[in-house]
Amino acid sequence: MAELNFDKVLASLRLRLDEVTSENEFDEISKEFLGKDSLLSDERKKLSTLSKDDKKSYGEKLNRVYKSITDNITKSKIDFIDKKYSNLENSENEDVTINWVNKQGSHRHIISQVMDEVVDIFSSIGYKVAYGPEVETSWHNFDALNTPEWHPARYESDTLYTDINLETLLRTQTSTVQIRHMENNEPPAYIVAPGRVFRSDQLDATHSPVFHQLEGLAIDKNLKFTDLKGTLEYFVKQFFGEDIETKFIPHFFPFTEPSAEVLVKWNNEEWLEILGCGMVDPNVLKHVGYPKEYQGFAWGVGIERLAMLKYQIDHIKNFYENDIRFLEQF
Amino acid sequence: MKVLKSWLNDWIDIEDIDSNDISDALESLGFEIESRTDKVPNYKNIVVGKVLEIYTHPNADKVRVTKVDVGSKVYEIVCGAWNFDIDAVVPVALPNSEIKDGFKIDKRDIRGVESNGMICSASELDLWDDHAGILKLSKNIKIGSDFSKIYNSVDTLWEIGVTPNRGDCMSHLGVARELSSYFDKPIKSNDIKLSPNIENVIKVNSGRTKFCDSYLSVEIENFDITDSDIKIRYRLSSVGVRVINNVVDYTNYVLHDIGQPLHAFDRDKLFGTISVRKAKEKETLKTLDEQTRKLSKDDLIITDNDSPIALAGVMGGYDTEVTDSTKNLLIESAYFDKVSIMKTSRKLNLISDASIRFERGIDYDIQHKGLERFISVFKHDQDINYSEAMISKKNTFSHENITFEKEDIFNILGVELKDDFILKTLSKLQIQSTLADNKISFTSPSWRYDLERPIDLIEELAKHYGYNNFNSTLPIGKNLNNKGEFWNKRNYISNLLSSKNFYEVQTLSFTDKEANSIFTPEKTSVTVINPIDQTQESLRTNLLTSLINTYKHNYENNNLSCKYYEINNVYDDGNHKLYQDIPNQEYSLGLLIPENESNPDTRGEYIQNDIHTLTNIINLLFPKVQFEKLLRPGFHKNYSYILKLNNKIIGFMGKLSYQAQSLLNLDTPIYLIQINTESFNFKDIQEHNYQPLSSYPFIKFDLSFTVQEQFSASELIQYIEGLLPENENNISIFDNFRTEKSRNLGIRIVTRNYNKTYTDSESGEILDMIVKKVQSKYSIKLNKSDDNAT
Repeated sequence: MAELNFDKVLASLRLRLDEVTSENEFDEISKEFLGKDSLLSDERKKLSTLSKDDKKSYGEKLNRVYKSITDNITKSKIDFIDKKYSNLENSENEDVTINWVNKQGSHRHIISQVMDEVVDIFSSIGYKVAYGPEVETSWHNFDALNTPEWHPARYESDTLYTDINLETLLRTQTSTVQIRHMENNEPPAYIVAPGRVFRSDQLDATHSPVFHQLEGLAIDKNLKFTDLKGTLEYFVKQFFGEDIETKFIPHFFPFTEPSAEVLVKWNNEEWLEILGCGMVDPNVLKHVGYPKEYQGFAWGVGIERLAMLKYQIDHIKNFYENDIRFLEQF
Repeated sequence: MKVLKSWLNDWIDIEDIDSNDISDALESLGFEIESRTDKVPNYKNIVVGKVLEIYTHPNADKVRVTKVDVGSKVYEIVCGAWNFDIDAVVPVALPNSEIKDGFKIDKRDIRGVESNGMICSASELDLWDDHAGILKLSKNIKIGSDFSKIYNSVDTLWEIGVTPNRGDCMSHLGVARELSSYFDKPIKSNDIKLSPNIENVIKVNSGRTKFCDSYLSVEIENFDITDSDIKIRYRLSSVGVRVINNVVDYTNYVLHDIGQPLHAFDRDKLFGTISVRKAKEKETLKTLDEQTRKLSKDDLIITDNDSPIALAGVMGGYDTEVTDSTKNLLIESAYFDKVSIMKTSRKLNLISDASIRFERGIDYDIQHKGLERFISVFKHDQDINYSEAMISKKNTFSHENITFEKEDIFNILGVELKDDFILKTLSKLQIQSTLADNKISFTSPSWRYDLERPIDLIEELAKHYGYNNFNSTLPIGKNLNNKGEFWNKRNYISNLLSSKNFYEVQTLSFTDKEANSIFTPEKTSVTVINPIDQTQESLRTNLLTSLINTYKHNYENNNLSCKYYEINNVYDDGNHKLYQDIPNQEYSLGLLIPENESNPDTRGEYIQNDIHTLTNIINLLFPKVQFEKLLRPGFHKNYSYILKLNNKIIGFMGKLSYQAQSLLNLDTPIYLIQINTESFNFKDIQEHNYQPLSSYPFIKFDLSFTVQEQFSASELIQYIEGLLPENENNISIFDNFRTEKSRNLGIRIVTRNYNKTYTDSESGEILDMIVKKVQSKYSIKLNKSDDNAT
């Protein structure tokens, strides 16, 4: 029996496979070497003419050849695809350290972000945002807040007035919102009021004619000085971190009594004052007509001051110049 | 205010207490510590010497040669100062000593004479600023003493903040009283017995005015005007008072010692009865600083035979002032009304240690003690003659007894204070009090004006209990996680704009009138009557000028052209919508979009914005917004719109007019929006209508119409949507081509039925229906239709 020279067939297959340039050639090669017109098929057709023993041995041989051809094609195809993608990936090799796109963040002004953060903290313990006018009556800014007629804060050198009789002014503190809120809402009151306040100062590194405060007010039955302490300690820890040390020292504000200032220990060194607070003075509650069984506490915190501390900002001016170099950092 | 440890020690034994503990005490008592200086001598080996001889220098006429006895030896020392004579007692820097800042003193040849050291001035020893010559000491000091031992050269100085309600703490006695309770140490009485030895010559009275409760005087004869004792000068200069001469120094000393301001008159310049009254209009007074002051009826004055001689509590008069030739004195010690002194000192801008104390209220019962202290300090130094105090007192003050329930303390503070703590604290503060039947009664002492109500006393107890000794409890408010519409609206808008690469800015609320008139001339500005400067006299009536200024700042300084927004108030002279007596204020949103926007990607070109970028942003913020063309000042003729929501005006927008652009020196056209955020409810903009998704394939037509110049594309879209009410529609404009003669609008309709797949013939029917209806509704011409366009 004349057997086909299978080594020759396989050698010719390998030559063909080495020359492949596109993926669909593998199908053509399969067809050529294994399809119905292939040499292998021709040999299979001859099997029926062989003796039983020859048939068995030649049949097995043909199967081995078939497998060998298939394996060769499959392996070659895998290698081809691997090489194709590998080359493609090799060709893509950018310097990833180049930052083509300028810093893109939320771009919310840092003052808004800090106000938001403070509001979120108080919202988590049951306070709602209230707001009030920025051009206010002297009564709401001073008298209702128990500020005596002779108090230096009323001087024209400190406060910006909008009428000649000094009856309207640009509010010097967000505490005015306490009064507006209580005039218009029955107790209890749990509010925070972030907003702008105004002083007669030129804009420079440490002063601004406009700055932001957040006023807080809690009025209910049975609120005590110990509640004030707990509330503000909660805030300071939420804002600056659990490890911050705080202390309360006595102070004076016309609209609270007892009054205190809260200090935090900064970088384990200096004690810095960050907010003023106290039990709402009975005269204030009387001015807004709240019933006697209600009392509570109030506090005020400077937003710029918080921002300057937390983010190590050195100039107040930066907040209001709105230079992109500044805005982009937050 | 500055306080010295050694001076406090005159009133309470604290010399042995560590200064750190005193700092803690001061802070815990409510005195903010502004600074603390631990004083040590800024010199070494200075001794006290006595000048025995003075003779001229053989080779120099600007200096003299002295012989100085320093106890162990007599030294020859050359000295350039001329303010002393033989027998003067002076500080001497011998060879091998150091004066201020480590400057070494040694033997030195001065023009052929060997000088064995130096006689020192106060400045050279860093005591106080005095360039008048060498420091002359009291003749009682032992020669050869260590100079640093003759006064408290090792000391602590605190600068503390005293809150405006605590005028009583503006002296060493006042601070010592507070420390007395803290350290549980008694206040020393320091009483002295006076033995007057002359008669009063001048009659004084406190006048008929209610603004002077008491007026007291003593007269002093037989004294020299000279330097005061070194201890006095050291103390005064340490607390920041300029030392002048003994009479002036001693009045200042009493003020800082016990808080009573005194005034010294030259008695020989007084002629009649001294009294007090309010000035009359057009009266004048020449004050110490040689200025002639026009008085008004608000000013409280001291008179001599009814003629003004001093501004009470604020400044003395020139004609009665003490000079070097003064022979006899009249010392005034009075109580003047707080508000009266405040008004005069503020009006004349004369703010002194005395006026500040009168303003805050001095002890109404300390005037006699003031005179006693003055005499005792003076007498310690010189053998003076003095009169009794002449006293004229109205006794208008009396502090009422106040009673309250003890449980009020717990109700406010949240801690129970023990009875003995309460009683002991009050007694140390010299507040008369009793505690019986769970009631506390108290009467405040003559120096306290801040204890008028139970709450005042509760605060006092809390302070002395120590704020840091209180428990902390955290109450939860009634508005848990409910920030309210105001804040939610603000954050919602802000978040949307942030996602579109807008920068939020915070600009000042001030502007000048002209800037306001560019965009909102219909509004009258609110003006500040005492502006910081003239460019900041008006409050802004719009946010647009501020945004343009910010844009320009960054374009000019950083070469960046960006989009900005601000949410803040604008103000005008109209009535406020809610409250009486205040001007209108609208919490507003302003936006600025430049036509050429810097690309955040540095490889990219400028981003081109146009009027559609503006409408896109507005539609993002207000999905149901309506535009109504209306030309506003400062805006482009065709691009100026009023914005409405539910038929209510919420703001305006448009393109900056080319004229305004050139006026404002802007390189690129600018688009602007201003919205009054109070003019709509949060739900009006947040409302979301879900459109269900059809699971059937879409059909799509691209139609092209020839339309009029003024044709509104959005109206056409809405109309077509109305024609397919049962479908999920997605209709958009893909082309808007203009020539000089015509305008072509390309509209793409993508629509799906919710219940079925359209057949080809159904699809064709829909197309025919739309074209027919649109043509008849708008009389526009279909150019081209592309069925199932891709």
